[in-house]
Amino acid sequence: MDKKTKKNKFADGSTKYALLSVLGIAGFFVIWQLLVVSGIINSKYLAAPTDIIKLFFVKIAETAPDGNTLQVNVFSSLRVSLLGLFTALILGIPLGWLMGWYRWVDRFVTPLFEIIRPIPPISWIPLTILWLGIGLKAQAFIIFFSAFIPCVINSYTGIKQTSPVLINVAKTFGATNFTIFIKVGIPSSLPITFAGIRVALGNSWSTLVAAEMLASSAGLGYMILMGRAFARPDIIVLGMLVIGVIGAIMTALLEFAEKKIVKWGGRTR
Amino acid sequence: MKQRNLFLEILYAVLPAVSIACLLVLWMGVSGNRPDLIPTPAETWSRFADTFDKPIMRLSFFGHILASLRRVMTALLISWSAGILFGILIGWSRTGKSVFGSIFNMLRPIPPLAWIPLITIWFGIGETPKILIVVIGSIVPVIVNTQSGMERVEQLYLDVGTVFHANSRQLLFEIAVPSALPTILAGIKTSISTGWMVVLAAEMLGAKSGVGFLITRGMDSGDTALVLVAMIAIGIVGALLAVFISFVERMICPWLRKK
Repeated sequence: MDKKTKKNKFADGSTKYALLSVLGIAGFFVIWQLLVVSGIINSKYLAAPTDIIKLFFVKIAETAPDGNTLQVNVFSSLRVSLLGLFTALILGIPLGWLMGWYRWVDRFVTPLFEIIRPIPPISWIPLTILWLGIGLKAQAFIIFFSAFIPCVINSYTGIKQTSPVLINVAKTFGATNFTIFIKVGIPSSLPITFAGIRVALGNSWSTLVAAEMLASSAGLGYMILMGRAFARPDIIVLGMLVIGVIGAIMTALLEFAEKKIVKWGGRTR
Repeated sequence: MKQRNLFLEILYAVLPAVSIACLLVLWMGVSGNRPDLIPTPAETWSRFADTFDKPIMRLSFFGHILASLRRVMTALLISWSAGILFGILIGWSRTGKSVFGSIFNMLRPIPPLAWIPLITIWFGIGETPKILIVVIGSIVPVIVNTQSGMERVEQLYLDVGTVFHANSRQLLFEIAVPSALPTILAGIKTSISTGWMVVLAAEMLGAKSGVGFLITRGMDSGDTALVLVAMIAIGIVGALLAVFISFVERMICPWLRKK
């Protein structure tokens, strides 16, 4: 009943609303363009959308002012953030599962985890420099921290919520604790674990700028910092847009993967 | 069997202490052998005590924490009021959602930290840009949660309202908003921890007070003990904020108590 009314509401004027969305976004860009072109906002502070589109094509071939073409920056950022993210997934998710399943792991690791958890990843930057120097490893380490925490929390919560009915069924059929952990616990934790991966992905991409403040020589975060240094708002805005678009694409890819892998999402609560 | 259980119980009770002890031993071991990597716990403690005798930039240690908290609170008040209003707009009105929700969703994937360079070009390095960056970071969870709370109001409640001839203002303020309140509060909760994280980044990029400043100061002057003190303080304040907000949440929404 509830759904039906909702659906009707949608069907009513869906074309009208789609049109309004387009108008909203178009209006946003038109006002932006007008503000800059008319000089209400000085071009020292903001570049017009058309200039940014032009710059996009120029930047593919040119290295000024930060010393890299756009592709090189994108590639470098992706490398750093994916390295950090995957390390966090590989270490964090199994750790969360073990913590959620085996009580002694929980009792041992949780206090340490609770100490580290409230410290924001960015504040690790100085220590990271001492430990790992400056470079790919140090940047990936900062990103690792930002992604590690949601991975652990969600896989922990996910496996903790395994339905006791499922566990008891497995026990009745004589499965060992480890088998139940692998065959029941982990699969039933996946929907919540994936939500954690989504948060981790978002965190890893948004910590990028902070990580690339660490004396990197390429990357999108580096590019917008250089844009600031050279007072080039067009470079900054282009960088922001590219970061936003890539972030959105990665989120969409992950959602696609989640749909392929977790087919039982609805049924395990 | 019983003895084994007793053994396990004791093990479980002792393990947290063991793990903390391991951490301390590790810290002392590393700092003893490689003082260039991390200062010893004793050094860290005395550095902390020093901050009270020798103020940094004319502010005591707690002065810096207060400076950061003030920025966060100012920013949070702005993002709560603006975020809830905007969330109601795009969550309640289909037109509002189509026109402004699309713009919001377009800007949302840009991380708050990526705004820092643009904001500093616009506003220099005073108080305003820092607060604005925290607003950008903390307003997103408020808007998203308010919107989803408003969209998921039970149709039944609204129908009851309609049956009793509630006008649209009453439907909104007496039915929809209260029923979305728990979701909105969850967004507010997230916004506090996000805000605390973002203010740190904003302060690290140029400030004369605040905990983020302490970290950069320690980094620039090779004073690792100060960095560590600041990190611990940030962690403790963050944890306290989280405890405080769950307490407030339980006061406002007693029905949300953990099952």
